[in-house]
Amino acid sequence: MSEMITINVDGKDRRVKAGQPLIQACLDTGSYVPHFCYHPRMEPVGMCRQCMVEVESPRGTMMVPSCTMNVHDGMVVHTQSDMIKKVQEGMLEFLLINHPLDCPVCDRGGECPLQDQTMACGPGESRFVEEKRHYEKPVPISDLVFLDRERCILCARCVRFSDEISGDPLIEFTFRGANNQIRTFPDEPFASYFSGNTVQICPVGALTAAPYRFRARPWDLQKVASTCTHCTTGCDISVDSSQNQVLRFNGVDNDYTNHGWLSDKCRFGFEFLGSDQRITSPLIKGEDGEFALASWGRALDVVVERLSGIIERDGGGAVAALGGARGTNEDAYALSKFMRVAVGSNHVDAQMDDGLNAQFLAALAGRGRINDLESAKTVLVWGPDLKEENGTLYLRVRRAAQTLGARLIVVHPRRTGLDDRAAFKFGYRPGDGAETLRKLAAGEGDFAAAREVLGEGSVIALVGRTGYTEDPRLAEAVAAFVRDLPGSSVLTLARRSNTYGALDMGLAPTLLPGRVSADDESGRSLLASVWGELPGAVGRDARGILQGVRDGAIKAIVLQGADPFRDVPDGALAAEALANAEFIVALDMFLTDSTSTADVILPAAAFTEKEGSVTNLEGRVQKVNQIVAPPGQARADWSILDDLARRLGKPLGFGSAEVVAKEIATVAPAYAGVDWDAIDTEAGIVVPAGDAAQPLHYVPVAGWSGNPSSADPGGGKTMRLHYARTLYDDGVLMRNGLSLHMLAPGGFAAITSADAARLGVAEGDTVIVNEVELPVRIDDSLSNGVVYVPFNQSGITSLGDSLEVELLVKEAGA
Amino acid sequence: MNQTLVLFRRMTDYPADSHTLDRYLETGGYEQARVALGKTRDELVELVKSSGLIGRGGAGFSAGMKWSFLAPARPAYLVVNGDESEPGTFKDRQLLERDPHQMIEGMIIAAVANEVHEAFIYIRGEYPKPARRVQQAVFEAYERGYLGPNVMGTGYHLDITVHLGAGAYICGEETALLNSLEGRRGEPRLKPPFFPAAKGLYMLPTIVNNVETISNLPHIVERGIDWYRDLGHDVDTGTFLFSISGHVKKPGNYELPHGITWRELIYDVAGGIRSDNELKAWVPGGASAPWFVPSKHLDLQITKSVTDTSGSMLGSGAVIVMDETTDMVAAAERLVRFFAEESCGQCTPCREGTTWLDMILRRMLDGGGRAVDLDLLYDVSDNISVGVGWPPKQTTICPLGPSAVSAVKSLLEYFRPEAEEHISRANRVPLAIKGVGA
Amino acid sequence: MTWSAETLARAHDIIARYPQRRSAVMPLLYIAMREDGRLTDDGMRQVAELTGLTPAQVQSVASFYVMYKTEAQGKYLVSVCSSISCFLLGADDVLHAVEQAAGVPAGEADEEIGVEHAECIGACGGAPACLVNFELVEGLTPEKAKEMIEWLRNAKPDVINADELQTLFGGRRSFDWAIKEENGAIGPYPAFPPFGTAAHNTQPLEPGRRPMSNSQPAPLEGGTS
Repeated sequence: MSEMITINVDGKDRRVKAGQPLIQACLDTGSYVPHFCYHPRMEPVGMCRQCMVEVESPRGTMMVPSCTMNVHDGMVVHTQSDMIKKVQEGMLEFLLINHPLDCPVCDRGGECPLQDQTMACGPGESRFVEEKRHYEKPVPISDLVFLDRERCILCARCVRFSDEISGDPLIEFTFRGANNQIRTFPDEPFASYFSGNTVQICPVGALTAAPYRFRARPWDLQKVASTCTHCTTGCDISVDSSQNQVLRFNGVDNDYTNHGWLSDKCRFGFEFLGSDQRITSPLIKGEDGEFALASWGRALDVVVERLSGIIERDGGGAVAALGGARGTNEDAYALSKFMRVAVGSNHVDAQMDDGLNAQFLAALAGRGRINDLESAKTVLVWGPDLKEENGTLYLRVRRAAQTLGARLIVVHPRRTGLDDRAAFKFGYRPGDGAETLRKLAAGEGDFAAAREVLGEGSVIALVGRTGYTEDPRLAEAVAAFVRDLPGSSVLTLARRSNTYGALDMGLAPTLLPGRVSADDESGRSLLASVWGELPGAVGRDARGILQGVRDGAIKAIVLQGADPFRDVPDGALAAEALANAEFIVALDMFLTDSTSTADVILPAAAFTEKEGSVTNLEGRVQKVNQIVAPPGQARADWSILDDLARRLGKPLGFGSAEVVAKEIATVAPAYAGVDWDAIDTEAGIVVPAGDAAQPLHYVPVAGWSGNPSSADPGGGKTMRLHYARTLYDDGVLMRNGLSLHMLAPGGFAAITSADAARLGVAEGDTVIVNEVELPVRIDDSLSNGVVYVPFNQSGITSLGDSLEVELLVKEAGA
Repeated sequence: MNQTLVLFRRMTDYPADSHTLDRYLETGGYEQARVALGKTRDELVELVKSSGLIGRGGAGFSAGMKWSFLAPARPAYLVVNGDESEPGTFKDRQLLERDPHQMIEGMIIAAVANEVHEAFIYIRGEYPKPARRVQQAVFEAYERGYLGPNVMGTGYHLDITVHLGAGAYICGEETALLNSLEGRRGEPRLKPPFFPAAKGLYMLPTIVNNVETISNLPHIVERGIDWYRDLGHDVDTGTFLFSISGHVKKPGNYELPHGITWRELIYDVAGGIRSDNELKAWVPGGASAPWFVPSKHLDLQITKSVTDTSGSMLGSGAVIVMDETTDMVAAAERLVRFFAEESCGQCTPCREGTTWLDMILRRMLDGGGRAVDLDLLYDVSDNISVGVGWPPKQTTICPLGPSAVSAVKSLLEYFRPEAEEHISRANRVPLAIKGVGA
Repeated sequence: MTWSAETLARAHDIIARYPQRRSAVMPLLYIAMREDGRLTDDGMRQVAELTGLTPAQVQSVASFYVMYKTEAQGKYLVSVCSSISCFLLGADDVLHAVEQAAGVPAGEADEEIGVEHAECIGACGGAPACLVNFELVEGLTPEKAKEMIEWLRNAKPDVINADELQTLFGGRRSFDWAIKEENGAIGPYPAFPPFGTAAHNTQPLEPGRRPMSNSQPAPLEGGTS
């Protein structure tokens, strides 16, 4: 790591990292220096002047802000001299003269750096007898954030975050001098996906978040460290609750993952937890088709009766399970074991036909780390728009390109949030991915310069499906190309927070727990020594399961936090399948389009209501912790499945989530050595610990040549469909959280202006895509012949995942 | 007292058309640019260093030294600071309006010396007329091939762009000026690390010189180091442009050698005090400078070192003279108000402190002064500029905050009884206004 | 709102003068004022689009500088210097006279005349001084200032020419201006044609109206002349 040097702070020698800001060196080694504008993740600006210290120099003692001076060996620093104390008190007095001191009604009161530092270093009384500045307060500057300019101390943290970190400079200083004030532009709200971070880092109560305003006093809050479960990045969070209610998520600075940041979806997306729509009791569907409340005993009996009937009649292979990627590893392991041991079926899939080859995701050889972004010379992003799907990872890539100087190559059919920082951006039509990759690999034409850069090595590639219509083999082919570059690593991108954990627990037809191939004999025998007999038949993946249910080969289906109606791109297939199932049991929190088709719904506990571990896209296993009790009779999935298995006569032997975790460490080679104390740390544990613990090295299939398309985009009404997610959508957790649901963009069909002219439509006209009516938007970042529709928007049923669609113009009045 | 005319020579000899290219060429114009184009960077930097030319922007730093610090990265830029905004200062306006080609020729010399091919003249927004004149001169220089892709047929490429400010004193601070030229708020940058010669315009090496500094260059190239040094006094070489304003009989800009006394400047050059009133105090070097008073400073020599060691500065050469009729609290308030209004607001002590000082002074003028206010004025000043000394030990990012303190310091140091008098007259003001009990 | 093709072409000329297009923000803001008479939200949006910034960033820059006026200033903006040198010679009386004559308090404007106090305008040798649409008048008195406002109200000149104003209403100057100019300001923004865009923000005086003699009849007492 970096070189250590010695500096002297207030008479004591301190070993500190060479070249770091003096203030950080002081803070790290126990000398508190008060400060407001300094933030370790942003460029110092030296504006608040609170962190003044004295540094000895050949020309005498200099007074300097410690945030703008970097340490050097032998530096002698005074942080407590009489002069410095006077200056610190003076700065605080200056900051307070125009501060409204409305602490009793301020959300920040009690956890306010201005309060705390005034207590520690400030004046005891005010000498200011003039009129304070007044502004209208508070002003909503977005749907989520309120601004109080009277409280603001003008530290520029929000301004810098928006400009330097998130890249949407919508909140800025205006005017100057004593009139200096933070503002947004009229009619251009602070509509950043990351606006909540500015609330968190505001050192006063100038920026407050609508979901938390006036909800609690900080001293009444209980806090627990946990891991965010909205995407696969695995961000470090603190969960705050009061009176058994989760009230707030804050980002925690973690060197490995989020650097303290969260997207607004992660930060404010907890509101569903307290929704009155939560299922709090087991439900059994009666003869009349209506759900009725039932006791756990009765509900479990019904499930066992129906399942065992089907298993006896048609065998375990007549039962399938979907889901498990939204829970903990322990929940996923429980489902995996339940299906294999208690049911005797290999028909399990945590991915919802929207992902990538399970072995590729779980066992990719040469998997990278997020922190490879800190040192990579080149970053290739060929996958979903990270800004929409992996918010904090997006910030890390932005940082690599913007602050660390990495060259960024973005390949995506449409504009992405990273384009403004990309050295190279290549668009293409969905379906032409293989050809685009061939050209990139060959360095043909426009790709020559990018190919050269990639050839120089030190490349990290973030690879996934850019949209639902894209063949999953393309991502593998991209990964295969990157693996052959010198000094390269690959991070794959999958949807749903614990997909990696679920696959590691064997929730895929081709995998067993611990990244063991389902057909690996030594792996099977190790597992069999604990589990007993394993089903031998080859399992079906999500699409196969749904087709099986539709066609009658599969009779019963277990949904674990799965909503195939909404999750599966081919929603029509899901609908037909669920309608045709003989028996459906759902472990879920809400009544959804899918769970409402179930025969029995078992109420599941959510994150913050249970303990467990999760695994991120790097393979980093981290802890999630409980802070509130589950509502009503809801229980953790592993416990429900344990109960079911016992009643089926095949007990799983789980007494607690930790017992499950210990069993995982025993049977899953990659998870050997993972224990809860070790993962409840900043770094967690990255699995596998060593090569020996990685039983399967999946080498991506290279040279995929693509599916030649017969369509003639640019000619008739046939268009290629780009069908991809947005951060806010109509997902069940969004729908049950009031603050965010209204931010979803809604459905639309975006086409180029050339196609619009060709088809004779204008922005706002209505077109029909696969029988769905959508308003037209013009988007010239697309290729001609492509229509982009955002996935899962309110009131829009699924378009399916066929690459080619007909775009029909709805005639006026028709 | 006669002026020593160098920079003002042409406009004095040819008042009607000193600004025209024809007149400029007729009086030897652009010959020195040609000479400079034949010299190396090292030769020119050495020439300017040896001449002792001091930057005329107010900071008083050697122009040649500044050039020698230019970092090796390229492109490098030259920016002429024509944002003259320091109260009392109007010399650059005269140079810009009356002899723009002199400056443009100086820019060519500075560009060659610093391997610059793109130069900017930043002129304050309230100077549209000087800007028009300079723009016209730049057009003329392009037409004659003194600027453009092939300067004077030498193959040297130089473009000059005239950039107009928009009303912000702080843009006279060189790093704020660069921010402004980049299309940003005119907020000073942190020094270190952002010294323009290393990381200037667009974070590239940049020379920022004042209009007067640049206008000296053709003369130094033409007549040499010895001539230039002989013009001055000791280490203060060359001439100095004084802008004299306030209660004198003959305000105006004067080009003078260093080393005369304040008495000579005020009484001989500027004709003495209006109505032969008594001199009460004067600001020796622009509104930022602590005041001088006749009892202590009238016979001091006007040199950089003497002024510095007497607790003030020559700064921009603006001398503001106040006679016996002046209400010194009002004068201090007016000076402090300027800095409060012109504070960029970036750093806490300047944003809050200058405004607070002004509020206290205004309250005193409005009859709401309290006995504690003078000590409060001092202590607030001390929190902006520790020790309230000059040169300042500032808690601020740039010297603007301490500049506001100069007037307060001077008021308290020389005119405390007058300030106390203001307060004692405050008795008839209702207690609420005086802030008692607040 | 979008600017005319001609104005856009001018804007692109200006952008081309700078190594980075963000640098063109300030001149483009003046063009935006010229287009709408003041700086409007639409104007700032247009500048943002041309310079690749967000409107919030443009607003942040514009609001820092006092010469970008978002409020209407009337046809003539009278900026009376109130800084130290002018103050010492009676600037407050001049400002008061201007306010009285115009019937407009400082900081406000009616449809014709806007009044404001300005910080030092670099005319200290000719104090007290003011700017009308940023064209300078030096050596004012309260009486002359009042006459000037009345003249603006009655004559309603389309073009403000400094030489003319100085001849009619001025007194002592900082130095001899010695330059006869026929152009002048046409609105409450500086009459300066940025590079390559000559005569954009200025306009010649109407036929029959000529600036007064360029050499001031009263000889200057001091300074260089």
